[in-house]
Amino acid sequence: MHRINITIKVNGKEVTLKVGPKERLIDTLREQLNLTGTKEGCSIGECGACTVILDGEAVCSCLILTGQIGGSEVLTIEGLEVAGKLDPLQKAFLDYQAIQCGFCTPGMLMSAKALLLKNPHPGREEIKTALEGNLCRCTGYEQIIEAIESVANK
Amino acid sequence: MIAYDFFTTQKLEEALDYLDRLEKVKVLAGGTDLLVDMHKKSPRLPPISYLLDISNLEVLKFIRPADHYVEIGSLITHSKLIKEPLLNHNFPLLVEAARTIGSTQIRNRGTIGGNLVNASPAADLLPPLIALKAEVVLTSKKSERVLPLEEFLAGPYKTKIEANELLTKIKIPLLGDHYYTDFQKIGRRKAMSIARLSIALVVKIDEKSIFQDVRVVPGSATPYPQSLSKVEKAIEGKSINKIDLEEIGRIISEEMISITGVRWSTPYKKPTIAILLKRSLEKVIKESKTNA
Repeated sequence: MHRINITIKVNGKEVTLKVGPKERLIDTLREQLNLTGTKEGCSIGECGACTVILDGEAVCSCLILTGQIGGSEVLTIEGLEVAGKLDPLQKAFLDYQAIQCGFCTPGMLMSAKALLLKNPHPGREEIKTALEGNLCRCTGYEQIIEAIESVANK
Repeated sequence: MIAYDFFTTQKLEEALDYLDRLEKVKVLAGGTDLLVDMHKKSPRLPPISYLLDISNLEVLKFIRPADHYVEIGSLITHSKLIKEPLLNHNFPLLVEAARTIGSTQIRNRGTIGGNLVNASPAADLLPPLIALKAEVVLTSKKSERVLPLEEFLAGPYKTKIEANELLTKIKIPLLGDHYYTDFQKIGRRKAMSIARLSIALVVKIDEKSIFQDVRVVPGSATPYPQSLSKVEKAIEGKSINKIDLEEIGRIISEEMISITGVRWSTPYKKPTIAILLKRSLEKVIKESKTNA
């Protein structure tokens, strides 16, 4: 079984990798690139903990084989902070206490970021649609939605 | 462990060549069904020697008008279906169905072709596309054939696609004047839900307010989605002002049970399918009155 050579851009940096035929994007991120901010929850696309942004779209990194995405650009939670400065969404999640255990947070933030990249001023319903695929079992969604609204209303 | 070799390509000819030459090839597009089945080691998954990734075949990513049809490339994602003005204008029920699929993340990857080839009894795009009399184009290295979608389906999770064929295109005939459509779906929750029951309705309501060319296709009601001819005939020829919706409800419930037999879910689905169809009919009747 051959390994596949691919080049992708992760958080602005180009990387060339050898990946296995079963290697999912989440495996590559966590195990080859040590980007462990992206979490694996359900592994079947239902919980959204593994959400990253692929070529501008929120996707579940557990449902993509890395071999599929040569030439693409991936943004993970580690790429949100720029030069030591938190992304406004990260800041808002802290301010609004939209975090409890934190496991869903990277996925929530990436879904929210994907939305704001396309639509900087979404309404509440649009925010809820963007978060449809992200489960949180402790904070509750209210603070998370409020945090995103606070950035959207700026 | 499932052991396989992985191929990806940006050329359709190359993909068709792989399918022609190799055995036990599984085609991977958006991966939102296949990677789940692989993770769960689903018994539905056949033995795989090769995984062929087609998600980079740009040539299959189009939505365009053609004579009397709209043509959709099989790799168009659900998110793209929802955004497309041509589809919103001509086939709002298809857009409505796409909106109810999974979540934003799933809709960004899952494709129309994948939804049809996976052929789940709960596939959200099957009822509207069957009701629209869509056709699928199956391409192999040496030939191409076109099948009505309803004939393409062969059973739950089964289609008539051959091992060397790729579903490349979906053709939807344009509806003429005086057509009305609706899609309804019930799931356990609003987001991320598999249809417990859905219904796609396409009807013509003529100048005399009479139902013509009625198409009723429920999802998750029968082993695989199909049009229900008895209830269609019962609606056809009736006036929108005189139709007995309770009676139509009884007819669709009976027709569903005549296909499935009495199952554990029948006490729920029997009244619910009647209500869904009633809602859809009420909606198109109201719309036609607003237009009149």
